[in-house]
Amino acid sequence: MTATDDARRKPLPTPDADSAALWRGLRDGVLLLQHCGDCRHVQYYQQGMCRQCGSENLSHRAASGRGRVHSFSVVHRAPGPAFKDDTPYAVLLVDLEEGPRMVSTYTGGKPEDVTFDMDVVLVCERIDDTTTLPRFRRA
Amino acid sequence: MSDSTLRGKVAVIGIGLSPVGKVPGRSPLWLAADAAKKALADAGLEKSDLDGVLSCHAFASPFHRFSVAFSEYFGIQPTFSNTLQVSGATAATMFNIGAAAIHGGLAKVVLAVASDSLMTGLTPDLALRSLTESRDQQYEMPFGIPVANTFAMTAHRHMKEFGTTAEQLAEVAVVQRRHAARTPGAQQTTPITVDDVLNSGWVTTPYHKLDCSLISDGGAAFILTSAEHARELGIAKPIYILGGGECYTHEHIFLMPSLTTTGAVTSSRMAYEMAGYGPKDMHVAGVYDCFTGTVIMMLEDLGFCPKGEGGRFVADGQMTYGGQIPSNTHGGLLSFAHSGMPGSLFHFHEVIAQLRGQCGERQVRGAELGLVHSLGAGFATNATTILGTENTL
Repeated sequence: MTATDDARRKPLPTPDADSAALWRGLRDGVLLLQHCGDCRHVQYYQQGMCRQCGSENLSHRAASGRGRVHSFSVVHRAPGPAFKDDTPYAVLLVDLEEGPRMVSTYTGGKPEDVTFDMDVVLVCERIDDTTTLPRFRRA
Repeated sequence: MSDSTLRGKVAVIGIGLSPVGKVPGRSPLWLAADAAKKALADAGLEKSDLDGVLSCHAFASPFHRFSVAFSEYFGIQPTFSNTLQVSGATAATMFNIGAAAIHGGLAKVVLAVASDSLMTGLTPDLALRSLTESRDQQYEMPFGIPVANTFAMTAHRHMKEFGTTAEQLAEVAVVQRRHAARTPGAQQTTPITVDDVLNSGWVTTPYHKLDCSLISDGGAAFILTSAEHARELGIAKPIYILGGGECYTHEHIFLMPSLTTTGAVTSSRMAYEMAGYGPKDMHVAGVYDCFTGTVIMMLEDLGFCPKGEGGRFVADGQMTYGGQIPSNTHGGLLSFAHSGMPGSLFHFHEVIAQLRGQCGERQVRGAELGLVHSLGAGFATNATTILGTENTL
């Protein structure tokens, strides 16, 4: 395979020790957030310890999937050939009901319909046997 | 302000620019060496006088240790060297760290040099890497998020929170194009209007093509040494480093504490405190301008106007001649040149030339104090340096 072929394929996540559970959960249709048993901090970005207090007393709980658009930008020029056919698409910063913010893309509608503070809901989009991406549609 | 800081202890004694814009057939190492030769000549020094080299990564010459590869290319064997990497903020960190190294006795004469060939030197594979490499491969890249998009979401939120308009964003590009028209060697000098910006086609909303910085080849170099050594050398007009500050608030865009208030608040406050001057004292500024909205947010966070008023500040003519803080008088990344991580070194070159009084028809009269702010990676990295003439010590 040449590097140019590679460029036409969308990059897929390679889970690591910190993130394996997140990607496994998405395959099962849930978005797992880490809840700190000591300071109650909730985090989306998966770590072996709490970003706020450093505790390793973390447990995974499924997010409700409900969130609200904090900001967004509609991409018209794709970052490379892999995303060219998808343009225009809306990149979202979503504030989850449980607190954490995450970045994703809008699905199930036109990108121009996205507005600030729009209520959105999680869609687990299966890419292949190993990868499911968390995306969002209008609630 | 304290005697133990580097305030006034280190001076810039030489500056050099390679050709910028479209420079085919020249590698980043050549561009860096060309700029370095000019900076040495400007200081009246030989390459054997250098004992320190600071640089940063170049996409078109992807050496892990660019500063070391540069030294080999240039035929020197420094005893202090590093290849710094905090994205667009790297330029200002080269000054801050170079000054600290000199003040701390690690080096006597430091060359700060960087270059890249983003316009003519990238193979397709390297070009793709340059677009996406700096985003997280698990949490960001699978969604097709270009670096521009992270900045766009901050500007979009700024518009929502403060009523900043697309016309105000565009005005930044218009002003800087006007500045570039008076800068020899600038890449884009054709005058543009607000309508031109708004009609230039979307890149990623709210940014149009002309809201985005250029893609260029080019490099710049600077010679730093102690104030004492500058005097021994009889340098005609040393420009002193008066203050430096940095701030790193997040790695991922979704963990940025606020999309509209950045680490530039902290980095600039540190630099002002060290310098003993405030934003109202500055005569000229180099404000990182990867996108138009970036400038508006930085004019606020650097303290030139209150939060939320950056758009009006620009529209009122406050970032150009006759306004409160003439900024990016060379044209900036939007119109002069943007060769990636070295891009902010062009802001340093301009501000230092302004403080030396060497800017001809674009000279800001009486410029004695200047600020440069570099940033990168969706505002993840911020670094500020304050510079001044002998009179400001």
